[in-house]
Amino acid sequence: MDKVLYLAMSGARETMRSQQAHANNLANATTTGFKADFAQARAMQVYGEGHESRVYAMAERPATNTASGTLMQTGRSLDVAVDGDGWLAVIDANGNEAYTRQGELQVNQFNQLVTGSGARVMGNGGIPITLPPFEKLDIGGDGTITIKPLGAGASELAILDRIKLVKPESGELFKSTDGLMHTGNNQPLLPDAGVKLRSGFVESSNVSSVTELTSIIDLARQFEMHVKMMKTAEENSSAAARILSLQ
Amino acid sequence: MHGALFVAKTGLSAQDTSLKVISNNLANVSTVGFKKDRVVFEDLMYQIQRQPGAQSAEESQLPSGLQLGSGVRVAGTQKLFQEGEMQTTGEAFDIAIAGRGFWQVTLPNGDTGYTRQGQFQLNSDNEIVTSEGYLLDPGLTLPAEVQSMTVGVDGIVSVIVQGSAAPQQVGQLQLADFVNPQGLQAYGQNLYLETAASGTPTLANPGEGGTGQLRQGMLEGSNVNAVEELVNMITTQRAYEMNSKVISTADQMLSYVTQNL
Repeated sequence: MDKVLYLAMSGARETMRSQQAHANNLANATTTGFKADFAQARAMQVYGEGHESRVYAMAERPATNTASGTLMQTGRSLDVAVDGDGWLAVIDANGNEAYTRQGELQVNQFNQLVTGSGARVMGNGGIPITLPPFEKLDIGGDGTITIKPLGAGASELAILDRIKLVKPESGELFKSTDGLMHTGNNQPLLPDAGVKLRSGFVESSNVSSVTELTSIIDLARQFEMHVKMMKTAEENSSAAARILSLQ
Repeated sequence: MHGALFVAKTGLSAQDTSLKVISNNLANVSTVGFKKDRVVFEDLMYQIQRQPGAQSAEESQLPSGLQLGSGVRVAGTQKLFQEGEMQTTGEAFDIAIAGRGFWQVTLPNGDTGYTRQGQFQLNSDNEIVTSEGYLLDPGLTLPAEVQSMTVGVDGIVSVIVQGSAAPQQVGQLQLADFVNPQGLQAYGQNLYLETAASGTPTLANPGEGGTGQLRQGMLEGSNVNAVEELVNMITTQRAYEMNSKVISTADQMLSYVTQNL
């Protein structure tokens, strides 16, 4: 009796965890550049004496879905979206290089180019990009930043750094606890000249709301079945107790 | 309790904030010189339930672990300083800025405010003031009995006074410019205040130092695009509905347990 009760309990617990993973995807359905996480359950068999019947479920996050979201036109020159594969290199809170697709860029008080959530954008030169006071700014398809300095004439354009764009092998990046993508050992990746950037666009979240909502309903039903199993285990146990009880 | 409940709650409150920003934009669709806001969403910290790479046994490692996201939050709002549509009014005291720059006005408490709204008027002392009555800085006082006032693209103000055919130059308007206008603090009344993020203003004559030129007889409309805001409103509403669906599903799961066990 303990087997079926605990097995059903572990199933219900792991279902709740996957439910949270899907709820997180759905909560980020409108977050710019967000990449949905996958959730799956794995069978964990317990070996031991007797009949090996215990197979616990274990929820896990096998990977992050790196498919592109839809590009949305905004017309703002500091909005950039990666067209196709590739990532923008930024500096995370610990000073390591991390990667994101959130391209709602802005300039902070230190004249540094930062993402919407404040992470500094890395340049091809290996240092974060700092912009001098500018009147007009243009980001090219390869990340090259051209500015018209404040007070300069129309012919005096200056080319600054290039935004560092990388194209890692699939499976090389994983999402860390800060929501940014990292390499396994925090080793910076080499820039890739083939990554295309679109200025004036932002990339929407790649969450498919319908898929997530369907998964949530599906998991809710699975959860009910686990509870049903627990209920059955309880009934079996009370039936056994009734039969074996002394009158 | 159920983790998904709290995650969906963060989704609901973020979409709620987003709707407020959208409705503020829409409410100001015809405010002269208004600059729209946009919310920036950010996913929250991930909690590690199972460390990737931890040993599941002496000889085996967990290949992927389990990291659960804890929802979403609004990381901030961005003011978008794209130029609004220019409307021709023909009114001499309507002056629009074509390009960067802000008018500098003196607030009642002595602080300086910055605005893009160029609907000026004269007060009883013949001084140029905003529609709230705040003085333009550097100030400009017109002589009495002015018949017409002309503002050049470079900010030079000349007037024709009664009894004299020759125009006389009475002042020079100036514009303030910021390194990072997005860092300005919105004050209401179409005014912005300087912050550490915006940097200190540099004053320049219009058309110089990167500031825009002046256009007399024109106003800069709001840069809110009603269609865009309505589309954003629909997406926000749908995202809100789906998050509330998660809450009701999580609630049903919990109630099923309490009723059946």
